[in-house]
Amino acid sequence: MKLERIHRRSRGAHAAMAFLIVLLASCGGGSENTESTSRTPGDTALDQTAAFTIGYSQCNRGEPWREQMDSDIESNANAAAGIDIIMKDAQNDALAQQAHVKEFIAQKVDCIIISPKDTSLTQVVADAFAAGIPVIVLDRKVEGDKFTTFIGADNRVIGAAVGKWVIEQLNGEGTVVELRGLSSSTPAVERSEPFRAAIEGTGIAIVYDADMEWLGDKAREKMQAALARLPEPGSIDLVYGANDPAAIAAYYAAKDAGRDEEMLFVGVDALPHEGIEAVRAGILDATFEYPNGAKEAIETALMIKRGEQPPGTITLGTRLYTPENVDSGGKTIE
Amino acid sequence: MVKVGESRLKHLLPTREVAFALAALGLVLILGVAYNARGAFFAAGTHADAFWAIAGFGILACGMTIVILTGGIDLSVGSVAALCGVLFALMTMKNDWPPVLAVAAAVGAGAACGLVNGILVAALRLQPFIATLAMMAFARGLAKSDMVSEGAKIQRMPAPQVVEWFNTRVDILGAKVSIGVFIFLGCFALTLFLLQALRFGRHIYAIGDNAEAARLSGVPVRKTLIIAYTLCGLFAGIAGVLFTAMARQGDPDSGIGYELTAIAMVVVGGTSLMGGRGGVTLTLLGALTIGYLKKILDINRVDTAEQLMITGGIIVLAVLLQSLRRRS
Repeated sequence: MKLERIHRRSRGAHAAMAFLIVLLASCGGGSENTESTSRTPGDTALDQTAAFTIGYSQCNRGEPWREQMDSDIESNANAAAGIDIIMKDAQNDALAQQAHVKEFIAQKVDCIIISPKDTSLTQVVADAFAAGIPVIVLDRKVEGDKFTTFIGADNRVIGAAVGKWVIEQLNGEGTVVELRGLSSSTPAVERSEPFRAAIEGTGIAIVYDADMEWLGDKAREKMQAALARLPEPGSIDLVYGANDPAAIAAYYAAKDAGRDEEMLFVGVDALPHEGIEAVRAGILDATFEYPNGAKEAIETALMIKRGEQPPGTITLGTRLYTPENVDSGGKTIE
Repeated sequence: MVKVGESRLKHLLPTREVAFALAALGLVLILGVAYNARGAFFAAGTHADAFWAIAGFGILACGMTIVILTGGIDLSVGSVAALCGVLFALMTMKNDWPPVLAVAAAVGAGAACGLVNGILVAALRLQPFIATLAMMAFARGLAKSDMVSEGAKIQRMPAPQVVEWFNTRVDILGAKVSIGVFIFLGCFALTLFLLQALRFGRHIYAIGDNAEAARLSGVPVRKTLIIAYTLCGLFAGIAGVLFTAMARQGDPDSGIGYELTAIAMVVVGGTSLMGGRGGVTLTLLGALTIGYLKKILDINRVDTAEQLMITGGIIVLAVLLQSLRRRS
C-alpha cells in the first residue's frame, strides 16, 4: 500500500521537476530580466548600413538612480538616429554581468556601454576592448585603462561639497551620522573620504557610521541602531546618506522614533522622483546631484559611430538642491 | 499531537517544548544584557524597534507554522509578500484607491497565491517544496512584470495617509510601539485560535503526524491542506502590506530570503519540520529569539557578514538542542 502511494506521488513530482527545470533554465541564474531593442522610425528604409548596435550592461536596475539611467539611455538612444540598444540587467550579480558582456562580445555588438557592479568586471571589459569593441564605462570604475571612455561625475567633488555645506549648516560644530555606500564600490569611498577630510579639524564629529550597501532597507536598520546608541535628544545633528534612499530611510527611522525634527538630512543623487521630491516634501534638507551620464554616453557612442576618437574621461558636474532652490533648478557647484 | 477526547486546554499550558523555547530566548536576552551597547539594550525604544523589525517576519512565520505542522513547507512567502506589497503600493501610491479596498485587494492576492499552492499540493499531489518553489518564481516574476511594477520601485513623497497609518506608534510605558506589532500579535492570536480551538487545528496536527491515518479516520485532508496553504498566502499578503508601509515604497525586489527567516523562526521555536508537533506559541518565541539576536548584533555594530554567520550558527545550535531533548 505504502509503495503504491509513493509511486503515485512521485509521478506528480516528476512532472513538476521537469516544469521547474525548464523554468529555472530560462531564468538562467539571475541574468537578464530586461531585454529590449529600440529602433527609430523610418530606419528600415535607410538600411544600407546596418544600425549601430550597442550592448548596454546595467549592474542593478533595482536602484532608482540606475532605473533613471536605463530610462535616460533608452530615451537618448531613441532620439538619435540608427541606434539599436540591447539592455541587460544583472540584478546586482557580478558574475551574471560578466556573462552579459561575454554575450555581447559573442554577438559582435558595435559598442558596449557598461555600468559595472565593481572592479571584478575589469577583465571582461578588457577582453571586449581587445576584441575591437569600444567600451564606454559609466559611473563605477574598472581598473587599468583597457576601455575607450569613462564617464562619471566626480564623487570626490561631491564629497567635498557635502563637507563644506555641513560645516556651514552646523557652524563648524556638531555630531554626524554617516551612512556610507557599499565599501567595495568606488563612489562609496569617493563620497566619504573628502567629506571626512573637509570636516577634519572642525568641531564636527562622526558619532556613528555604517555601510548600508546603497540600500534603503539596510540604511533604516543602521539608523535605528544609531538612534538606539544615541538616545539623548540632540545627540545627532545631521545624517549624511551616501545616496538619497539612505537619507530618506534614515529620516523615516528618525520620524518613527519621534526625532526627525532634531536633525538635518542630506543625500546624494537628486533624482527627479526621489531626492528632489524628498526635498520638496520636506524630508531631505539637501541633496547633491549625481548625474548618470546617460546622455553623454549616447553622444560618445555616436562619436564612435562617426569614426571620431572620444576623450578618455568625461567628468560631469554637480548641483545642490535645497528647499529654497529646488523649484528653480538648484545651484551649480564647481 | 492532539488525540480525540483530549482536553484542548492542555495545549495552552506551558509544555517542555515551550520551556525550551523560553530558555533559548532567555539566553539571547542575557546576551543582550551582557553586550548592552552602553545601555542601549535597556532603552524602551530598542525593544519597540526590535518588535517592529520582527512584526512582518512574525506574520510570515504564523502562516508558515500552519503549513509546516502538516509536514509541508511554503517557499513562496517572500515572493508573495513582495507581490502583495507592490500591488498595495500600486493602488495607494500610483493610484488613489480607497485604503480599505487597497489592503483587502493586496491581502486577497496573497490568499489567491496560497490557494494555488494548496491546490497544487493537495489536489494535484505535487510535493510542497516543488509547488511553492514554482510559486516563488511566478510571484516574483509577476511582481516585476510590466503590468505591475516594470521592475521599478513605487513610491510617493510624502507617503499616503494609509501608509503612514501603518507606521503610527502607540505610547506604551514610554516605548513607542508600532501598529505593525499589534497586527503581528493579532495574527498570532488568530493562528493560535485556529490551531488550538477549532477542529481544523486537530486536523492539521493529524495530517502532519500521519496523513494516511488521518485520511482513514475521516479527516478531510485535501480541504484542510488547501485551507492551510491559503492561510499561509493570506498571512504573506498581510506581511507584504506591512513591509511596504514600513519602507514607504513598493519594491518588487524585496522579500528575497524572507521565507528562510520565517522558517528559521518556526524551527528555532521548536516546531518539527516533519510535521505533527509544535505550535505557534513556539514560533512566537522563536521569532523573538531571532529578532532580538539581530537587534543585539545591530546595536553592537556587528557587520552584516558576521551577523549572517552567527545567525546560521544559532539556528544549528537550537535545532541540535531540540533533537537531543527529543531523544532523551
